[in-house]
Amino acid sequence: MKKLWYIATKDLLIVAKDRGAWITLLLTPLVVIVLASLALSPIYKGGSLHATLLVSDLDSGGVGKQLVSALAANPNMTVQAATEAESRTLKRAGSTYSLSLVIPEDFSARVEAGSSVQLMVYDDPNSTTSAPFLKGMIEGTVNRFSAVEVAAKVGVAEALNQNPAASAASVAAAAASASSQMANQPIKTSEQPAAGTKPLNTFDIETPGFAVMFLLFGVMIGTEGLLEERDKGTMARLIVAPVPRSSILGGKLAAQFLVSLLQISLLFAAGHFIFNMDTGNSLPGLVLMVAITAYTATAFGLLLAALVKTRRQASAFGVLTILLMSALGGSWWPLDIVPPFMRTLGHVTINAWALDGIKGLILHGQGFFDILPQAGVLFAYGTVCFLAGVKLFRFRNA
Amino acid sequence: MSEQIVKAEHLVKRIGGITAVDGVSFSIEPGQIFGYLGPNGAGKTTTISILSTYLPATSGDALVGGFSVRREPLKVKEIIGVVPQEIALYPTLTAMQNLRFCGKMYNLQGSMLDGRCREMLELVKLWERRDSRIEEFSGGMKRRINLAAGMLHRPRFLLLDEPTVGIDPQSRERIFDTIFKIRDDGTTVLYTSHYMEEVELLCDHIAIMDRGKIIAAGTLKDLLKMLGEGGMIELEVSPPGCASGLEEAISRLEDVTGARREENRLFISSVSSARTLAPVMKLVEAGGCEVSSLELYSPNLEKLFIHLTGKELRE
Repeated sequence: MKKLWYIATKDLLIVAKDRGAWITLLLTPLVVIVLASLALSPIYKGGSLHATLLVSDLDSGGVGKQLVSALAANPNMTVQAATEAESRTLKRAGSTYSLSLVIPEDFSARVEAGSSVQLMVYDDPNSTTSAPFLKGMIEGTVNRFSAVEVAAKVGVAEALNQNPAASAASVAAAAASASSQMANQPIKTSEQPAAGTKPLNTFDIETPGFAVMFLLFGVMIGTEGLLEERDKGTMARLIVAPVPRSSILGGKLAAQFLVSLLQISLLFAAGHFIFNMDTGNSLPGLVLMVAITAYTATAFGLLLAALVKTRRQASAFGVLTILLMSALGGSWWPLDIVPPFMRTLGHVTINAWALDGIKGLILHGQGFFDILPQAGVLFAYGTVCFLAGVKLFRFRNA
Repeated sequence: MSEQIVKAEHLVKRIGGITAVDGVSFSIEPGQIFGYLGPNGAGKTTTISILSTYLPATSGDALVGGFSVRREPLKVKEIIGVVPQEIALYPTLTAMQNLRFCGKMYNLQGSMLDGRCREMLELVKLWERRDSRIEEFSGGMKRRINLAAGMLHRPRFLLLDEPTVGIDPQSRERIFDTIFKIRDDGTTVLYTSHYMEEVELLCDHIAIMDRGKIIAAGTLKDLLKMLGEGGMIELEVSPPGCASGLEEAISRLEDVTGARREENRLFISSVSSARTLAPVMKLVEAGGCEVSSLELYSPNLEKLFIHLTGKELRE
């Protein structure tokens, strides 16, 4: 056991002296977390996106103009008048747009007659952010606009109900009043966090995701160190010394586990103290999840070292596997937004189980006992990797 | 316990389809520097790997300090030290940190560990550089620390695998001095090399290995006797095939201890090259041959290797 500890402290000393390792372990993840949190904040929170809409108003009546005015009133949208041809091609004055709206010639007449009417919307399928954003805002405005029309009709009906002999002038006045009230006081929504939830901080989402991903990248330093020890003869020196192989491997894994634990703890500490990341209501739960995630990542590193023959293979295979696991497992985007089959597939990864537990604590206010199932699955995952790694690892080069 | 520090019997090691060590047997007496000479790929490192318990033998066994490398590897590990061909050190750690770590692997601790580290660093003349990182050292300095790491725990039997590859003459001299010193202190040494000059200088007993087999073994004097007591004459004659039976005629001359012909080259060993040369030249001339080159030399391991295998040691 003493020799296991001597080997572990030797490895910790080597990592402590390696500046490159600390860049990978801490600096890179922090930079990525900050950039991702700042860049994706509008998507998670909504509101601060801004886009330009091309509008071709072919309507000869006044309703089309009212619709354009209503659209232009939206502070997140700039309305740019365009010809129909420009709207069809999404190009105007040398610029390209992601969405356009064409208001047909008979728009006013059909609205006033109560007939159905169709607005033409042209979009660029490759515009994945602003086109859906604009579509949403057009739909919202049109719906509100329709509500104004309905209100006007209801106003007329009410006027007639109250006084069937009312004059045309009084009916028109009632309609105008209802319409005006609706237009001036459209349906408003008031947002309030549900009980037990809290305002969103993007760092709550991004820090755990990228911390788990970079934890796996950090483990690769240990994997390559294990293979380097084998390649450069220092492993042979240990094998011919009176040191059990279990101590050699145990010492190296213990060091890697401690480095992983330190890395993820420091990333979470930075997230909490610098970026106000929430740590949830159960510190023991978070400590448990962090420790089991570090254990599973360490075991994954051992399995990787056992499956490859060279450091170059470890690097190539490791990067590919970690990127795949991170994409599938929710490190880059929340699994809530992916299709159900992708969510199921994502749970073949370390990331998904780790993030289910950690985000459950941080975002959803879960307690220690709530995350035990995720912690249990993750621990079993790590143990399978560990046993397979121990079985397959070769102490000598072939 | 055996009187011999090493007794290897019929060691065989097959790796893939290749027999790297093919029925090797030898023994080493306590206090000897035993030279294991052979070209690259001869099987020297594989033999060391078996003796150090790094590799298991396919068949055969060896006793090291009386313990079987097959059945009692842990006991063997406690009495041996190994200096591998590679620089088996951690480059970002200092010389002292490397030695302290190696010492702890052999249960050295506290003041004893500190004392041994100092002793070894002084022995290899690097005490002043104890706090420098290994990656800052020259190749020769790294080799000296590599040697110190293998000797730190004062092993009874030290295996050195080509410890002077790629180093400067000054470092080589220091390594030789160190080896003599530890031999004088009672450590038995197995020294592998493909540099015959090193083996001639250092070793009391020598085994020559080629293609997995020991092809000759003994003291330097015993081995060189295979080439003749006095000296060697090597002649190249022309035209090819001239004077068939010339080597038999030469071998009957007084003082000649052996004569051998390989195509147009004659190898003659004799008690005295000076006395033998004139009658040899007469026989060559009488046989209608002309001498195109002539070389006189004292027997050495390089020539013995050529004599035994027909190829040069460094091929």
